[in-house]
Amino acid sequence: MFTVPGQAWFTVPAKPEQPKGENMNLRKNLTAMAGAGALSATLATGLLTPNLAAAGGLVKSAVNDWTGGAVMCEIVHQILENEMDYKVKRIVMPSGPGRDEGIRSGDLDYGCELWPSYSTTKEKFVKEYGGDGSILKVSDDGIIGVSSYYVPRYLVEGDGAKAPDLKSWEDMNQYADLFKTLETGEKGRLLGCPTAAWQCEDTKRLEMLGLNYAAVELGSEAAHWAEMQAAYKRKEAFIAYAWEPHWIHAALDLVKIELPAHSDEKWPATGWAEDVTYNYANPDFAEKHPDVIELLTNFTLTNDMQAPLILSIDVDGNDMADVVSDWLKENEVTWKAWLPKG
Amino acid sequence: MTSLAAHSSPLSLWSRFVATTTWRGHSYAGAVLVLAGLLLSLAVYALAANVFQFPQQIIDAFPFADKVNEARDWLEANVKTYTRAVAEVIRVPLEWIEEQLWELPWLFVLFMLVLPALAYGGLKLGLLTFIGVMFWGMVDMWYEAMSTLSLMTVSVIFSVVLGVILGVLASQSDRFELTIRPVLDTMQTMPAFVYLIPAIFLFGVGATSAAMAIIIYALPPAVRLTNLGIRQVPATMIESAQSFGSSSLQMLFKVKLPQALPSIMLGVNQTIMMALGLAVLAVFIGGGGLGEQVWKAITRLKVGWAFEGGICIVFLAIILDRLSYAISGVEDKKQWTDDTASRFHLLPQKWDSNPIARVIEYPFALIWNLFATVGGAITRSFATVVRPLSKSVAQSIINRPFLLVGGLILLLLYFFGGEFKWMNTYPKDWEVSFREPIDTVIDWLTVNPTFIGITKAIRSFIYLYLLNPLDLFLSGLPWWYLMALIVVIVWASVSWQFALVTLIFLFFIAAAGLWELTLFTLAGTSVSVIICMLVGVPIGVAAAYSRVVNSVVQPVLDAMQTLPAFVYLIPALFFFGGNKTTAIIATVIYAIPPVIRLTTLGLKQVPEEVDEVAGSFGSSTLQTLIKVKLPMASPSIIMGLNQAVVFALAMQAITPLIGGLGLGKEVFDAMNVSNLGKGLAAGIGIVLLTIVLDRVTQGWTKNQRKALGL
Repeated sequence: MFTVPGQAWFTVPAKPEQPKGENMNLRKNLTAMAGAGALSATLATGLLTPNLAAAGGLVKSAVNDWTGGAVMCEIVHQILENEMDYKVKRIVMPSGPGRDEGIRSGDLDYGCELWPSYSTTKEKFVKEYGGDGSILKVSDDGIIGVSSYYVPRYLVEGDGAKAPDLKSWEDMNQYADLFKTLETGEKGRLLGCPTAAWQCEDTKRLEMLGLNYAAVELGSEAAHWAEMQAAYKRKEAFIAYAWEPHWIHAALDLVKIELPAHSDEKWPATGWAEDVTYNYANPDFAEKHPDVIELLTNFTLTNDMQAPLILSIDVDGNDMADVVSDWLKENEVTWKAWLPKG
Repeated sequence: MTSLAAHSSPLSLWSRFVATTTWRGHSYAGAVLVLAGLLLSLAVYALAANVFQFPQQIIDAFPFADKVNEARDWLEANVKTYTRAVAEVIRVPLEWIEEQLWELPWLFVLFMLVLPALAYGGLKLGLLTFIGVMFWGMVDMWYEAMSTLSLMTVSVIFSVVLGVILGVLASQSDRFELTIRPVLDTMQTMPAFVYLIPAIFLFGVGATSAAMAIIIYALPPAVRLTNLGIRQVPATMIESAQSFGSSSLQMLFKVKLPQALPSIMLGVNQTIMMALGLAVLAVFIGGGGLGEQVWKAITRLKVGWAFEGGICIVFLAIILDRLSYAISGVEDKKQWTDDTASRFHLLPQKWDSNPIARVIEYPFALIWNLFATVGGAITRSFATVVRPLSKSVAQSIINRPFLLVGGLILLLLYFFGGEFKWMNTYPKDWEVSFREPIDTVIDWLTVNPTFIGITKAIRSFIYLYLLNPLDLFLSGLPWWYLMALIVVIVWASVSWQFALVTLIFLFFIAAAGLWELTLFTLAGTSVSVIICMLVGVPIGVAAAYSRVVNSVVQPVLDAMQTLPAFVYLIPALFFFGGNKTTAIIATVIYAIPPVIRLTTLGLKQVPEEVDEVAGSFGSSTLQTLIKVKLPMASPSIIMGLNQAVVFALAMQAITPLIGGLGLGKEVFDAMNVSNLGKGLAAGIGIVLLTIVLDRVTQGWTKNQRKALGL
């Protein structure tokens, strides 16, 4: 089962059992019963949450709603809970301005794996990008994000491949007909970034590169992957924006289309920059809990280390908490080095 | 239903129905005018398509979005401390209840819900509650269900209490009612995204903010229906109470409120349904619970998992709804009070002679007899002990045979439930997963060529023949012509005053730079509503004529209205592909239930004599339906149209998440970059559109009623 926010930290202090006397009146009896009730309730809690008192206190973590990002934080959570005596309240929330507000106001303490290309608020809030410092960039977490356009392998390789020469953006016009849909008319359909808020500028890119395609936004990540997966199952032609590391590459065999190398001047007529993702926190929290910040700083994972975890969760259907605790058991040397000194 | 004899002839009814399309007393003028208007519009389109654009200077000079963003920054700097204090009022009880529900033995929670259901609603409700609560455990979502249950309980209680107070105030003062009405309209139709993100800085992340957002969204029906209920208390009853010298407060609490209870309970029902409608969206502000499960599942395309979460929410909605009804004693009161035992029949009593029915009933009868013997003995003996102390207490114990026994069971479970693991936490061995079968079916349909052929045909038809032409037509018309046309329609359907207001609304929309988007939304809404009517009315008719159809349709409609839209949005994408047409199809799924329900209701309300009279004139069933009953049911059917319009526009808040375009997407995109001004403008666009379309279609219902002499 996924850990539910709050599961780990709801506890009730045990009431002392009332002394039983010979001549108890009804009232006393009832209090005793209530005491017993509280005791059994506490026992009940004990069964849910094996270790009651948390010396380190409670931390509120912003959990990403994509597997890669969630698994990163889950590693930190389990170390915090098992080694550093913290209780962690996990709050799942899509990334975006809502979560940024939460971090700034201190309702959320920290978050993992932020992709700078997609953050709309970093220039306002993160010092490294010229912001006011109300969100603290803690450290790079080792995951390097790659974004591009992708097509299914059956389209470009093997017998009956419909677009054998589709390798880079320069070949795209040649195959525009293949990607036409009812709603895009004469143009090929590119499944662009799901929302404008991610600032992918797909429509502008297509225009600037002179590609005969229309970018379609499906509004949410879920819809985006759903459309890709359904088309893939039916072996239909599609070209879509995607990024790595992501579970979709474990589920579907996709091939990257080369875009012009990234350059800030020519953007968006180029591909994306590599995303050096980072962990971030509320600055007040960072001051009060330097040990948590030290752990977040030391903690890094490479794409290759993250990939099998995603595979195990999303393709093999294993429980995230179990996958992470198994990983921790097998990689003790790695994470022991992340623990704060002293 | 006055003077049925006056239009007993089917012919005269039919002519009256035709006459109802009249405009200002001229018969057939309405039809002629509509036709003329259409031809004129086509002519204008042919002459001046895409020539006129709303002046950009006005759009540039209109400062709405900037002002809103300034106000937002001011609010953030100045009122946060106060709003956070308000949030505490909700956070404390919410977290307390959640804590309790998490810690209590699951068996205690099961009985806590099932026992009142049994006592107040009989065996059927008891069984339903039992199955629903077990389902939460079965699919391993017990704790999520407890979180959502506490969130719902707290938000619904706050909504109902606030709603009843405001409703009572509105019923006492016409001026207050007039002031509050547009506020309620706005609260109900403003896409939740507009206030979800600001809710975070005002009220904080998590369930508290979610509760605040839910209260905003779910409060209006409670206010409206309380107000309506109190205003509908018969004057004679008020007079007689006055003649007994009741004070106005006494009148309110002893006469008006009890009389208005059925209406208030309907408000509670609507509030619960709407509150659960927001359960999934609340995940955007860290709301947790079942909504989070559905969201996690959906982002990973695990349809089966999402369905499990969705069905948990449906059960929660149905249990809360039916239980609140049963406890309020509004429904079926007379039927049950005499004979408690008869409530413990699952099947209709006339089936008692059927051996299969008896076999099914036998175990329930056995349990009931056991309960009656043991429970009765305990109750009676306790009453005997108490009787010397107080006779009335003893009597009231005897009168409530469930109270003592139920209380004892709960006490035992409370104290000893924690001692046994299987009582304390739902046993892992009892878990049943429905994910794989659902996923298998969905996967099979996704690649099935015949099925996909059908879905593609539907999608092509909707896009090529409905959505695209209508959108091109509307957006091609000169803006001033279309504005004038809308104003004339509003004038004819409602009043000249409201037509003026509409003109102001339209100018706001255009000046905010939302004209094109609004036209697309209008086109999409119209197409969805047309499909709803074409599909929904025949289903409603079938359900009115056939018990079997009705008994299949009703629970499906219940589920369609409470199942979070996300759950079926993803399969809709699998089948119909990601595009703006799919959003229309999803809107139809959401907006069709009221059409079906109100068609059935309208037909059932036609007196039975009509069938007989029409039959004696030699009219066949089909003729009677088309020429007599449908016209008589038309006010109700048009009310269905009205609801479909409102629901379709409400869906604007969700469809952007699967590629829907228009105002809803504008809201979504703006809120995703924290541009409240832009989001609010588009949100207001949706609200204004809803208000205009709502009033126009309500005007049609009223005119139709008048024409039918109802």
